[in-house]
Amino acid sequence: MSVEKKKISRFELLMDAGFGAQKAGDILITAFAKMGKYVYIEPMIPAEISPPPRTRPALSGVIIRLADFDITNIGNDTDIILASHEIVLDRRIDDEETNVNCRVLLDMGDKPANEESYEKVCKRLTKMGISTYPFEITAESKALIQSLSNSGQNMYYLGMLSSIYNMPKEIVIAEINKTFGKKLKEEILSKNIKIYENGYDYAKANILFSIEVAGVPSQTEKILIDGNTSLSMGIIDAGIKLFSGYPITPASSIMHTLAKVFPSYGGLVHQAEDEIAAIGTAIGSYFGGVPAITCTSGPGLSLKQEFIGYATAAEIPLIVIDAQRSGPSTGMPTKTEQSDLPAVLFGNHGDNTKVILSVANVIDCFYAPQMARYLTEKLRVPVMLMSDFQTANSYKVIDKPKVTEMNNVDDIQDFVLERFHMSRLPANIEMVRDNQAAPGDLQGMRRVTGLNSDHLGQINYFSKTSQRAHAIRNSKIHEVRKALTKPEMFGPEQGNILIVGWGSSRGAIEEAINSCRAQGIPASGIHFKIVYPFPLMIKEIFSKFKKVVTVELAYGDEFKLSPLAMLLRAETLIDVQPMIAKATGRPLRPRIIMEQVKELLS
Amino acid sequence: MSTHVENKSAEPVTVKSLNTDNPRWCAGCGDYGILMGIKRFMVDRQLQPHLTVHVSGIGCSGRAPNYINTYGVHSIHGRPITVALGLALARPDLDIFIESGDGDALSIGGNHLVHGINKNFNCVFLLFDNELYALTKSQTSPTTRKGHPTNTQPSGTYLDPLNPLTLVLGAGASFVASTADWMPDHLASTIAAAFQHKGFSFVHISQRCPHYDPNAFDYKTSSWFSFLKHEKGITPDKRLAEKTEVVEHDPTSLEGAFKYASSERRYFGLFYQNSAKACYDDILHKLRDSAEKKPRAKILDRFQI
Ligand code: SF4
Repeated sequence: MSVEKKKISRFELLMDAGFGAQKAGDILITAFAKMGKYVYIEPMIPAEISPPPRTRPALSGVIIRLADFDITNIGNDTDIILASHEIVLDRRIDDEETNVNCRVLLDMGDKPANEESYEKVCKRLTKMGISTYPFEITAESKALIQSLSNSGQNMYYLGMLSSIYNMPKEIVIAEINKTFGKKLKEEILSKNIKIYENGYDYAKANILFSIEVAGVPSQTEKILIDGNTSLSMGIIDAGIKLFSGYPITPASSIMHTLAKVFPSYGGLVHQAEDEIAAIGTAIGSYFGGVPAITCTSGPGLSLKQEFIGYATAAEIPLIVIDAQRSGPSTGMPTKTEQSDLPAVLFGNHGDNTKVILSVANVIDCFYAPQMARYLTEKLRVPVMLMSDFQTANSYKVIDKPKVTEMNNVDDIQDFVLERFHMSRLPANIEMVRDNQAAPGDLQGMRRVTGLNSDHLGQINYFSKTSQRAHAIRNSKIHEVRKALTKPEMFGPEQGNILIVGWGSSRGAIEEAINSCRAQGIPASGIHFKIVYPFPLMIKEIFSKFKKVVTVELAYGDEFKLSPLAMLLRAETLIDVQPMIAKATGRPLRPRIIMEQVKELLS
Repeated sequence: MSTHVENKSAEPVTVKSLNTDNPRWCAGCGDYGILMGIKRFMVDRQLQPHLTVHVSGIGCSGRAPNYINTYGVHSIHGRPITVALGLALARPDLDIFIESGDGDALSIGGNHLVHGINKNFNCVFLLFDNELYALTKSQTSPTTRKGHPTNTQPSGTYLDPLNPLTLVLGAGASFVASTADWMPDHLASTIAAAFQHKGFSFVHISQRCPHYDPNAFDYKTSSWFSFLKHEKGITPDKRLAEKTEVVEHDPTSLEGAFKYASSERRYFGLFYQNSAKACYDDILHKLRDSAEKKPRAKILDRFQI
């Protein structure tokens, strides 16, 4: 038995939907984290609830990246795959994310009934140079699984993976107990643990390799959290009191999380009859002076546009979370993309004035609602908070963020502003309407309208008044522009090539630049969290590089500029080109970025 | 809808104090009558303007909040109910009125009307029904009478009109009343009864549009309609009631309400009232108020590994 010591490794567990692959993944990464290893987990979720087992759409699973240093993204290629049958494996191989030395552990349990199919897939693996380790669940465990009405298979695989990754059995069993202890009857729980142990022992005896990634248990408080849960907690910490939403993937889980806990923190969760109603109710609340938030994805964003324009004109604060997914139309609800940028920025009719905030990771998710509140209440323009499927669903172990318990937006802490590369806005921002009172103010009675208004808040169709209202709304955005500080940069601030990205691409860019530099390839990177407006100094930053290229999960080709590249060109008149502009639904990979850089520099 | 005033103005509320700049409706428009009815009611009740919000959609009716010196949200087409709900959830101390039209509430905003009714949140909903799209220059609306020519159906409106009263009764409205812009006393009493009711109080108002359909309502005579009357109901207009039928109808009877609502003949008065229907805003507030309170400082503790 050989133990391979590694600094970093990525593996996958692939099963049919509904059999607990994600649960097994959660247990395993918590155990890893306890041992002081760094983890990043990306679930693979089918768009349907429970597609028929043993079909390609049924693929459900987890990708886990494990390292002895902090990691910021899901990485490049997979070293080990454990698949419950050949069909989910075949489907996943299509994504071309396997390492050249990838090893596949394939459960042969279904083979007798599906000889031909198994053989075909195994041949495919051999052709790709992937070594296959066939195995079967032991008869005793099969009987146990049957007695649990066909559940518990995930525990067997969990056992195998813990053994392969050299985890002490007890640590994982403790996590199983923590996860199921309260939910399962004693007898069922002990059967699950038995299956886990059997899987563990089987792998120890039969799989003749194991991988060891070092870890030092840390003394600092750590939490394990995914993007949407972090956003939900951030909403509470930001002092928002009303959440108004409509079910849509991948935004829905924010509503689920808040529905359980928000009342305990003085909040209300409203499930509206449609996307339009959801945003209207958030606007009503904010007109009443009570901070509110609405959230959506994909088609819901299109439906909300009229009200976004209304909030702009009526100067009512508004925060809209857009958890992006693949489009257009229904697209791929459970795949990631960054192509909503133009719709978010230019989506409503007439002149558009709004601030776009994006999140790069789960910590940003926690602080973004405060930033959004600060911006929208100071400026009374809509703030669009952009996340994506990948950030929404990926888990990470992080140092516990500082909770700030914000009430008044002027109390926003400097470190939060710095996190989004912004300084404080001026105390007084000019508004179209002089009076911005909320109901209850005896002296402040006023009416707001989406019709053009003068400084008294009265309907006014004169040319000068319209021009004035436009100028003031835009000057609010210019105030943000002026308050923006230099965005985060990786590598030297001048050179041959600058990689530009926004939102969830940060981790892949940072890692790619580090790898490039480690190999002596001179490349730099820059990442935007506030995607609109851009800071005033970007032209100056860009002009210090021979080439400026974007990496984004949005479609572009030789004739079509991808969204970020298009915007940056318009803003800077610099020949920004998309280097990676793909709509595959899969996260950006640092290695691909590096390869492209090499090609561009040669 | 009932009010609980916290900070009160020393100044009495008068029709004059409720005026803003001059309305921009056509001369003779029924909207003037409705506006006056709202103001008269506010004066009668001394409703505090700074704790009152009028919310509207788009159309001639949508302009109403701009002409009442309270707080107001002139929102977007078809969606005032959604905004009003936000106010009701966020600020239960406020009195909320919604001004909407037949196009606004029954066409583009039909979905919200159904769900506003089902949620039964506390507000007074006034449907200004002039039986056509007016502000966009005379198009067929859901309540335009069959055969009436409009700019979109010039040979005469094709379909039978949708019946707003049976629609809302069918959706489970807890309060359904009907009145007309040309009956000031009846209008003000109807608004008062709607305000008194806790929940989503639906008031249908037949509204004249002399500019596009001067012949829609014969407001000088009353033989073409009847009044509904009951001790728990709304007092019929004295002058008009003398020359027409007055029917005794118990507003707790849903069956009776449907009978009059679906009749060919028009009835004004209180069709239906059900004070037992649950209010969504109350439910959410109770859920919040009765939840075990937890400190925000510890919000991330449960994710600790
Ligand atoms: S068009 Fe008709 S409804 Fe509109 S203001 Fe003129 S009369 Fe009134």
